[in-house]
Amino acid sequence: MFKVKFLAAVSLSCTVIIVVSIFVFSTNKQGDTQLVEFTTPFVFGRFQIPKDNPLTVESVKLGRRLFYDPILSKNNKVACANCHKQSLAFTDGLALSVGVSGKPLSFNSMSLVNLMWGPKHFFWDGRANSLENQALQPIEHVDEMGSNLDDLTEELSEIKAYQTLFEQAYGELNAVSIAKALANFQRTLISSNSPYDQFLRGEISLSPQEEFGRKLFMAHPDTKVSLRGGNCIDCHSQFLTSGFSSFFDGFSNNGLDDDENLAEGLFGVTKLEAHRGLFKAPTLRNIAVTAPYMHDGRFKTLEEVLAHYNSGIKRSKTLSPLIIEADNLADSQSQHISLNLAPHEVVAIISFLHTLTDESFLTNKAFSDPFKTGEPND
Amino acid sequence: MIKPFKIVGLISVLLLISVAIVWHNTVPKQLTLRFYPFLGSQPLVLNNEKYHNPGGEGVFTIRDFQFFISNLVLRSKRNNYTELESYHLARFDVGKAYYEIVISEISVSDFQQLVFSIGIDSTANGTIVIAGDLDPNNRMAWNWQVGYKFLLLEGSLYSQMKQQPLVYHIGFNESYTRLKFPLNSTIVSNDGIIKLKVDILALFDQAEPIDMNEIPKVKFDPEDVAKIAKGFQHFISLM
Ligand code: HEC
Ligand code: HEC
Repeated sequence: MFKVKFLAAVSLSCTVIIVVSIFVFSTNKQGDTQLVEFTTPFVFGRFQIPKDNPLTVESVKLGRRLFYDPILSKNNKVACANCHKQSLAFTDGLALSVGVSGKPLSFNSMSLVNLMWGPKHFFWDGRANSLENQALQPIEHVDEMGSNLDDLTEELSEIKAYQTLFEQAYGELNAVSIAKALANFQRTLISSNSPYDQFLRGEISLSPQEEFGRKLFMAHPDTKVSLRGGNCIDCHSQFLTSGFSSFFDGFSNNGLDDDENLAEGLFGVTKLEAHRGLFKAPTLRNIAVTAPYMHDGRFKTLEEVLAHYNSGIKRSKTLSPLIIEADNLADSQSQHISLNLAPHEVVAIISFLHTLTDESFLTNKAFSDPFKTGEPND
Repeated sequence: MIKPFKIVGLISVLLLISVAIVWHNTVPKQLTLRFYPFLGSQPLVLNNEKYHNPGGEGVFTIRDFQFFISNLVLRSKRNNYTELESYHLARFDVGKAYYEIVISEISVSDFQQLVFSIGIDSTANGTIVIAGDLDPNNRMAWNWQVGYKFLLLEGSLYSQMKQQPLVYHIGFNESYTRLKFPLNSTIVSNDGIIKLKVDILALFDQAEPIDMNEIPKVKFDPEDVAKIAKGFQHFISLM
């Protein structure tokens, strides 16, 4: 029979929090900077911070202000935070985001959470290979913020508060330091106190339904050994719930469209035919508050998402073989691709997804709008 | 009187050569294990190449292939080199047609045996330690209660006008296989490279060949897993 090593969840509890204080040589000109201290669950695994952008308190403070400041946009009305709202786990609640031009973008806003883990490529199609590289793209994009970086740098340098903040954080005010500061603020957006995390630490137990859903989420079905599963873990990793971090392993085609309607996705970046229609498997942390779902916001509810995985899969050349093959009924797959989960199993998976909502993350003051709390006094 | 010069010249050339040989053999340098993936005699080409089903009808393509090499040891008469945190995820889809493991700063000359395993030892497989390429959030991890896939092979089988996915996820402690290779100076090339052949067909083309039509997927069924894992014995050979 199917052998399972029963490591009790409790055994994870002793492995949990490590305090991270990385020693880095500060390349900043102005000397005394302080590194951010933060805790991260052991189960999230390794992470890296670029050597030329140490995670200093000063850079995060600057990044947070920039993130919430509409001055970054052409009409001074759109901040990053317009499309990335904390209460919605840094998404915007729209199917397609809208910026300065008023014209809907091609994509659904992405949650900004645990960005130091999971795929090292950003955006739905992976076209940015670092957070620093990502940060300037919305600022310059005509439909998002529509700014010119030279003008923006000049505008910022006329503001006293920014003169000081940039001086303290990077010793200079330019496009590179804007990008670095935004990247560092976003690195601090760590969510690791959801009921699921508390369960992993052995602090609470999940309800029977949530636990049933967790097991289904974490299993690829195998009818040969009567193992039922939702196969979510084939693409959404067990602890992070994001795509995988190595190379492009975190990108896949989860059957949203047939060949005729398949968007370019990762193909646009790598030009490999095998990557056509592959998109970033996003983190599912706080997924209950980030509707609508998928790269184009096509599903309004988690019920619709599950209905897709259970019976709405469309065939295409690059569709994941794990999706084609995953079936809870023996040998029924040849005609119509379906997980064949029972209704109560679907409900259980959804209730597990709700255990990923981290209230303390959604309300953490350190991530909130500094202009509202009056912190940046200017 | 040319002769004495000739002799002196010859002696110095010989001397130089022998110094070079001694120097070459004793100076520590790096040793590289380079793994080349094959299907029988054909090199692996992902996605675009079709190969014959070794146990039956039809042809198949491979779209993903990776496996763990672990617990590497080099043995010589005098001492052993045991690699620490020795977990390497071999894959062939990231720019190079081969996978390599580089061991730096060892004296290569006198090793007599190379030993490593396919898979993850039961200690590491039963925990969520992060060491080498082990990462509980990566694609090779099942969930933490089941451990790791030792080998992942995914593709498609085309047989009788029908296409079906091939999914082989081979894990379980019972599948962990230790492999030993004799080493001598002819096997290690001048630049410290040992070439090894990885033969995917060895997993199927066994004494009793496995028909992919009959077993297109192997995940958790212990008997099927054992059938494929038996092929680990002949999976890798010196080139
Ligand atoms: C007009 C709305 C809008 C604005 C303004 C905006 N974003 Fe986004 N953001 C999006 C959308 C939509 C996506 C997904 C776009 C894509 O994949 O092409 C996204 C994606 C991202 C991602 C990628 C996340 C991941 O996991 O890959 C990051 C990081 C990000 N935004 C940060 C920022 C920052 C920093 C700013 C301000 C400089 C900003 N955004 C401004 C809408 C917006
Ligand atoms: C073959 C890989 C794969 C499998 C299996 C898979 N997913 Fe996904 N998932 C993805 C990808 C890729 C996306 C993004 C797709 C897109 O928008 O183009 C995604 C998106 C989602 C989203 C929307 C996220 C957002 O922010 O919009 C949810 C929710 C989700 N998956 C849940 C699940 C659940 C629950 C399961 C198991 C029943 C599952 N997934 C199985 C790859 C997968």
